Amino acid sequence: MYDKTVRRRRAVLALLVVLSLILLTAYFGESADGGLHSVQRGFLTVVSPIQEGANKALKPVRDLFGWFGDTLHAKSQLAEVRKQNDILRKEAIAERAGQHGYHELLALYHLDQLSLNSYHPVTATVVGKSPNIWYSTVLIDKGTSSGVRKNDPVINEEGLVGKVAQAASDGAIVDLITDSEVGVSARINGTNATGVVQPKVGDPNDLVLGYLPGGTSVSRGENIVTSGTVEPPDYSLYPPGIAIGQVSSVDEESAFKSVNVHPLADLHNLNIVQVLTYTQGSKAASLTSLQGSLPSARQTATSGGEDSQLASTGTGE
Amino acid sequence: MTLSGSLLTRIAVLVVVVVFFQIGVVSEVPVFGVAVDLSPLMVAFVGLLCGSTIGAATGFAVGLLVDLALVQTLGLTSLIFTLVGYWCGRLRELRDPQAALTPLLVGGLATAAALVGYSLMEFMLGVDAPVSLELLRQIVLGVVVNTIVAVPMWILVRRSLIGSLPPDPRRRRRRAYTTGGLSPLSKA
Repeated sequence: MYDKTVRRRRAVLALLVVLSLILLTAYFGESADGGLHSVQRGFLTVVSPIQEGANKALKPVRDLFGWFGDTLHAKSQLAEVRKQNDILRKEAIAERAGQHGYHELLALYHLDQLSLNSYHPVTATVVGKSPNIWYSTVLIDKGTSSGVRKNDPVINEEGLVGKVAQAASDGAIVDLITDSEVGVSARINGTNATGVVQPKVGDPNDLVLGYLPGGTSVSRGENIVTSGTVEPPDYSLYPPGIAIGQVSSVDEESAFKSVNVHPLADLHNLNIVQVLTYTQGSKAASLTSLQGSLPSARQTATSGGEDSQLASTGTGE
Repeated sequence: MTLSGSLLTRIAVLVVVVVFFQIGVVSEVPVFGVAVDLSPLMVAFVGLLCGSTIGAATGFAVGLLVDLALVQTLGLTSLIFTLVGYWCGRLRELRDPQAALTPLLVGGLATAAALVGYSLMEFMLGVDAPVSLELLRQIVLGVVVNTIVAVPMWILVRRSLIGSLPPDPRRRRRRAYTTGGLSPLSKA
């Protein structure tokens, strides 16, 4: 009797461990269009409305807990924000004069730049978040039925939040900019120095702007914005000029200068976000399509094992 | 311990409610910069109350649900939670700890095992993140925060399942001795 119980206990454990390993291996081995990924998307479609309802019902509870943290956080930031406000006011006055001339020149040369106006923003509510420090993802309540596609940029009122990783009909998973899968082509605002913003290794809450030219002059507090170009490993197209973060410190020791960046968007407290979708025939659509057909990008991504990600970059979901 | 229909239903409801509450509310309220993770605590306490087999099966189900709902690497959380649930169940079967601090200790250890296990698996799967002080800080803070919420979580899990748990003969015997009712000394 005892032996039978022991054997059954061990058999159940072995079965569950083997099942987990089979799932793990199969999931890693298949492409983003594979069976297990499809099951996940199907599950997401079913769960999103439930999660949305639960999110609305439990919002007061979340707000109550969040209020304490927000109050403490706001008090600690007040002095610094006031100082920044004074600096920004002076900068805004100085730049207003130059802006007029810039628009005149733009019209004169018929320059048609990719900007936020080329996109159709879809407002979505964050209805879920991963508690794991290894996954910086959130679940939103808008999906392909609202025009959301894989790799669409996601922003909020503070700046860049991330990009759409998976989209189901009524929900989508967003990889935050602190996720190891995301890399954003960026530049220091007001300069031409570009690099790639990626999560800081070993720190899930901070970013690093790497691959900057050696002679780049950068100081603490400067703003980092999207450059509007595609770079490995991400190959996602973000419109230029979206605020990403502020320089917190500079690492001069590495061969390429790297800059530590603190994200402007409060990624721990996301409630409402906007997904920048594009309509067929728009400037953003044609650029995304062009980017997907670039042979160099495709080659590099395929050799890096990210073929599935690139394949969907040009055409969306 | 045998799995009755009533116990299975209670565990299933508990798992679904806690996982969705975790994803929808708890994960969005950081404490000391980290999110409380109720999932390993729930798995550990189900194992501690119901034994190794049910603990392992609950761990597998919770992991699968979390991986599906958050579109994470399928099977990874299941593997770790299966081992956590089994280990907590074995602790009950071998030692049957009754101290008041048991939930705190088991909750902390289960969280630590889950976080370290997750980190090791991610390293093995090729995530580019060497061990850093910040990562260790996150793990330690995660364990501390989860240890703090371990007691209320223990009460919740215990109250949810207690009505369907079969009587434990060892505990009945122990209670009898403490009251003196069936002690051979009381006959004297």
